[in-house]
Amino acid sequence: MHRFAPSTLMLAIAASLVGCQDSGPQDTKVAINKNPYPSTYQAMPAQKTLIKNATVLTGTGDRLDGADVLLVDGKIQAVGKGLSASGATSIDAKGKWVTPGIIDVHSHLGAYPNPSVESHQDGNEMTSPVTAEVWVEHSVWPQDPGFNAARAGGITSLQILPGSANLIGGRSVTLKNVPSVTMQGMKYPDAPYGLKMACGENPKRVYGSRKETPSTRMGNMAGYRNAWIEATEYKRAWEKYDTQYAQGKNPKAPERDLTLDTLKGVLDGDIKIHNHCYKAEEMAMMIDLGKEFKYDSGTFHHAIEAYKISDLLAQNGNCAAMWPDWWGFKMEAYDMIHENVAVVNAVKNSCAIVHSDSETTIQRLNQEAGKVMYRANENGFDLKEEDAIVWITHNAAKSLGIDDTTGSLVTGKQADIVIWNQSPFSVYAKAEQVFIDGAKVYDRFDDKYQAKSDFMLGQATANKAL
Amino acid sequence: MKKLNHSVFKKSLLAFALTACSSVWATSTAITNATVYTATEQGILKNATVVFENGKITAINPTSMNVDTTIDAKGQILTPGFIGSMNQLGLVEVGAVARSRDAGFKKANITFDPSLAFNPKSSLVSYARKGGITRDVIVPSGGDSIFAGLASVVDLSGEFDSVQTSKMAVLVNLGSESKGSRAHTLSQLIDKLEKQQKKLAKAKKANSEKKSKKDKKDPTKEALILTALLTGEKPLIIRASRAQELLQLIKLKEQFSLNLIIADAGDAIAVKEQLAQANVPVIISAMDNLPSSFDSLNASLQNAGILEKAGVKVGLSIFGDGTHNLYQLRFDAGNAISHGMSQFGALKAVSANIADMFGINAGKIAVGKAADLSLWSADPFELSSKVQTLWIGGEQYSTESRQDKLRERYMKQSHLPKAYSK
Repeated sequence: MHRFAPSTLMLAIAASLVGCQDSGPQDTKVAINKNPYPSTYQAMPAQKTLIKNATVLTGTGDRLDGADVLLVDGKIQAVGKGLSASGATSIDAKGKWVTPGIIDVHSHLGAYPNPSVESHQDGNEMTSPVTAEVWVEHSVWPQDPGFNAARAGGITSLQILPGSANLIGGRSVTLKNVPSVTMQGMKYPDAPYGLKMACGENPKRVYGSRKETPSTRMGNMAGYRNAWIEATEYKRAWEKYDTQYAQGKNPKAPERDLTLDTLKGVLDGDIKIHNHCYKAEEMAMMIDLGKEFKYDSGTFHHAIEAYKISDLLAQNGNCAAMWPDWWGFKMEAYDMIHENVAVVNAVKNSCAIVHSDSETTIQRLNQEAGKVMYRANENGFDLKEEDAIVWITHNAAKSLGIDDTTGSLVTGKQADIVIWNQSPFSVYAKAEQVFIDGAKVYDRFDDKYQAKSDFMLGQATANKAL
Repeated sequence: MKKLNHSVFKKSLLAFALTACSSVWATSTAITNATVYTATEQGILKNATVVFENGKITAINPTSMNVDTTIDAKGQILTPGFIGSMNQLGLVEVGAVARSRDAGFKKANITFDPSLAFNPKSSLVSYARKGGITRDVIVPSGGDSIFAGLASVVDLSGEFDSVQTSKMAVLVNLGSESKGSRAHTLSQLIDKLEKQQKKLAKAKKANSEKKSKKDKKDPTKEALILTALLTGEKPLIIRASRAQELLQLIKLKEQFSLNLIIADAGDAIAVKEQLAQANVPVIISAMDNLPSSFDSLNASLQNAGILEKAGVKVGLSIFGDGTHNLYQLRFDAGNAISHGMSQFGALKAVSANIADMFGINAGKIAVGKAADLSLWSADPFELSSKVQTLWIGGEQYSTESRQDKLRERYMKQSHLPKAYSK
């Protein structure tokens, strides 16, 4: 109700001022707060740390043997051999491997948490084909025990996405994988928002089964195009308002629309597209859709058939996020090949990513990447550990727009780091210590650094008084 | 799906030759110099020889041999073929395509036998062989009843005669209910068993007193199956997770002398001693470590190892889409090892233990067992290894699948559209 009062007033004023609304004293400029739920993330206490004698995978394609990594003030200060630092806590990492913190670009943790009871099904507002107005951060339950399990698997940052029943499903949020009582306490400072879109079977099945549009793939395309046409008009209206206001006029601000705010954010280049899109022909059309409405078609998720259009993806600068081997649950997931990620990765300027979309495999993205590397090498590729790590670190950071701060072991970047007991691409690999912004957030051998969700506290324990 | 030439030849001529002497056509094979993971008390045998003939293992480390074919394993690891379980292999091609699904229907009950619909030509079969899987216990997805139906054992040869034993176990789904109470579902099961037990006792009495002809009408299919459960002839697989429920099932086993197998068993570690003592094997996922419901608050990656140490017989199965992902079973075993299960225990959990639970004459490298064998490039549980050679019932099968064809097509350079690359 609150929302209607000013606009009714505006109408009355406008009616009385017909003909002179563009001149005279200016009203306060109407501006939309782009960050109404700001991050309150605070790094945990960090100390100067020197990790020594490790096999280091930088996330930028390099491997350094017997190397050291120095973490100072939450940042990576140096990576190299024979480093020393006074007052630093030294970790002997001989025989161990060090990588950037692992990043999952596709998670529903917190929005589809465990226990997966009905009260917790908050990941998909499947009530209309376009729900760009919803923000998945408003569904995140920070006590999801899955966050802690993912941290034990080396996950330091992750994108939470809304589900895929809609053509346009709402905003994503990028989180730092730290324990927090609030979503804002996990929110990755200054990470761009994402917008979830979905191709193919899901939207047309969900709405088609209700005898609503879309019920076909062509209906899907019409739905996206109509949405972007509206968004284009909305953007134009705001630009006109801004221009006239800048000229000293007193224009009427367009009526605010939460759905179109988000779509406009994409057209403005502030929000990145994350598109659930399996099939080659659909990804190709989604690239053209982006060109038609002048936005970046972003990252394709679950890109089962990316290997069929690897050149096209690289030419257009699209990232493709893929599983190593999930398949067959839907027709659009039928043409899986184990080497998909490797084929995409082989093209110059590509951006191949291994993602999870699972509270289980997010705990082992290292193994997921390993499967790709080994299967590809059995079939003519020559991929090394320093290549495979990029798929779950740097390229993932690039897709999320946070590669300037994380995803690689480069001086000045956040000290988001994993120490592994061995090569991370083994079934026996385990993250031993995990750091976020230089602070230890997980230690496999120290209970003090193993966070536990409120939900798990005091469950299924003995009842006898001790 | 491709069988090697020589075995195709053999089988097609076999029927023709049967009237003569079939042993003339039998070829014997020896795999020498192998590191044999027997999955038996023999443990690991180094530089060992395994001989098989007529589909069965006939000798291990014989003092002398006269065989048709010798394969030098060059020290590589030979394991029993792995055995999948609790999935719908051959009963589904694409999960979301209704017309490719045959594992269940609304009115499925204890007599439902989906193996009648088993499709050995499914692309999932050849794909699963990549994981060294040679046999599988397929189970119905069921319907509204707590009785999902009957389980069967199939081999992964892709041949039309792949169903080895049909209707060999009954699957019951218990646990939390979205509408109703688990107390009701459990009592339904108890009632059925009690009723049949009484009927049998009555029939026995009648038989001994030789009276009442009207009681001698043919028993129903359901009655026969319930009888097979009460005699322990058919295993009863029950899906349940909450600790208290598992204890109820142990009681049930004792009351009705059931051959009980508990699947899912999310909270099993909370009652591990009782399970071990009552000799109840469990089929669990090695990877389910989150509290997906209030029934599985003890889920952890350590569970397989904890149960093993407590003396519980553990089988590993892939939950979620364990049908399309069946090939990953060895990686689940690897992760179980990584989190505390012994390598021997994990091996048995994907071979011998499943065989023992369901009475399958495979899953072990021992004389008399089916010659289901995998020769591995390296550690079979490691991500980097692969199957070098696979035998099912003594015959070699390819691990090539549709996925390989797709990869080859899109990696091949050609001036023509990809559709011309075959």
